[in-house]
Amino acid sequence: MSAVAAKPAAGGAMNPTAMAVGVVMLIILMGICYFIYPAGIIPLALIVVGGVLIGFGVHFVPVGGAPAAMGQAPGIATGVAMLAAGGGLAGLFGGAWAAAAGQDALVVVITGGIGGGLMMAITCMMVNFVYVFGMGIPAASGKVANDPITGDSQAEYKSQGTEGHGLPFVSFVGGVIGGLFAGAGGTLIYLELLEVYKAALPGVMQITAAQVLPIAVSAAGMFAVGMFLVNAVLTAYNITGTIEGPHDPKFKRWPRSVVASAVASALCGLVAILIVAL
Amino acid sequence: MTVKVEVIEGGIPHTKIMIAGIVSTLVCLYLTYLNVLTSTEMFSFFGGLAVIAALIWGSHTIKVLCSYGIGTGVPSAGMIAFGSGVIAMLLATKFGIMAPIVAAVLAAVIGFILGYVSNNILNMKIPAMVQSLTEMAVVGALSLMGFAALMTGRFTFDALTTGHVTVLGMSLMTHQQSFIGGCLIAVAFLLGAIAIQHPFNACLGPGWQQDRMLMLTAECGFLSMIVAAVMSFALISTGSAIISLIIAIIGWVYTYKEYMVLSKRDAAAWLDAKPIPDVEGH
Repeated sequence: MSAVAAKPAAGGAMNPTAMAVGVVMLIILMGICYFIYPAGIIPLALIVVGGVLIGFGVHFVPVGGAPAAMGQAPGIATGVAMLAAGGGLAGLFGGAWAAAAGQDALVVVITGGIGGGLMMAITCMMVNFVYVFGMGIPAASGKVANDPITGDSQAEYKSQGTEGHGLPFVSFVGGVIGGLFAGAGGTLIYLELLEVYKAALPGVMQITAAQVLPIAVSAAGMFAVGMFLVNAVLTAYNITGTIEGPHDPKFKRWPRSVVASAVASALCGLVAILIVAL
Repeated sequence: MTVKVEVIEGGIPHTKIMIAGIVSTLVCLYLTYLNVLTSTEMFSFFGGLAVIAALIWGSHTIKVLCSYGIGTGVPSAGMIAFGSGVIAMLLATKFGIMAPIVAAVLAAVIGFILGYVSNNILNMKIPAMVQSLTEMAVVGALSLMGFAALMTGRFTFDALTTGHVTVLGMSLMTHQQSFIGGCLIAVAFLLGAIAIQHPFNACLGPGWQQDRMLMLTAECGFLSMIVAAVMSFALISTGSAIISLIIAIIGWVYTYKEYMVLSKRDAAAWLDAKPIPDVEGH
């Protein structure tokens, strides 16, 4: 048995004790931030919100992995980390562009969400294009009998021995929603860190606000990318590889991912904010 | 239910690789401090060697982790290693000469918490998870610090955010032309993340051999070092950058040849397919 064929180890069960420990860790990390750098507590809270948006949003994205590349499972034929990075970073670029144009925070976050959603919409459309016209397979879900949105019957189009193939309509919509959430979350993290750095770095480094701008943008962007990847991979661990979209039974695991992303974002956000506090 | 699909048969045990990896990485990082002591940038290439030592350790850690079917693909392991590593590394640069040690400790703490989160909250229940994510965060942080030392000759926050441009013969201080201000860190991030995840991704399977995978890691590391050494021309003196570049190219040619020898050793059969076939009878 190869590593590819091995079944994922994690089940759908929740671990209430560990969830409680996670919430306690979240509170402790926020508390540390409040005592060391009180001005950072609201940015940190918003960073946690951004991380949770990423963790929750990635569950909507139809990730097919290697089986999808062979037309044996529905979804986009790559891993969660790559898809989330693509959608989220496209959103991050959109949001960063809006932030550089001096828009207010809400516009920036929405722009980031639209960037991510747009990227996922284009990806989903081109993937379906390749599936239908390149590989000659119709779109059919293996997890539900009827598409939850259009009501179309799926079983007739599903090949025997596969778990479905192509991107059914509900997966497409899921991908766009996932891109919206992930892009908005990534942008929120970037924006909050940028504000913290723009406010505090000139004092720390004894230079002017104009001189600090490239450092603030670069450091905030790098931290946002790092946190984005951490959250995306943790979500990938949660859904153990492949998911069809919001109609997949694995979608019900999202509470675990929300707690995990909150703890991870609070931890990484705290470290990122400490750079101006120490 | 946990299925361990491949066992390590023979070869060097993981603990030995881990200890050798962390010691040689830290030693190489501190050797770049000779730059400060001697006021030159000649010893920057030790940063690149630190990267390669860390990557060899990291790719073996990925092998240990991904031998359990985690179901997310090998590249995700490289991404979380550098995603958590960059956060620890950037804060650690604030600690001056202690930076490499602080980076290792801080990354270990971050990696340990992420390991707990994935194993318990996300219910992965993989025995090697906590230790592997801890190790990989350390590898990510130290590799990025190695790239920083290779490109700038230093590893402290002030040096990584401050550069110099020469205008009409005058040297001016600038923050745009620096490792962090110029966002060279983003390129370093992906150079490392790809180099750490590729070797196991390429070598996994029933015919996996430890020495072949680790040689491929060294080859990927030197390939990344070539790119980083070219980028270092912008930040350090030309002579020092040429030293790094020559060492990287020599290392890459050697490891590439060795990797080809090992690949041919492990292959059932191989055919030397020429890029342009000789067509006879025309």
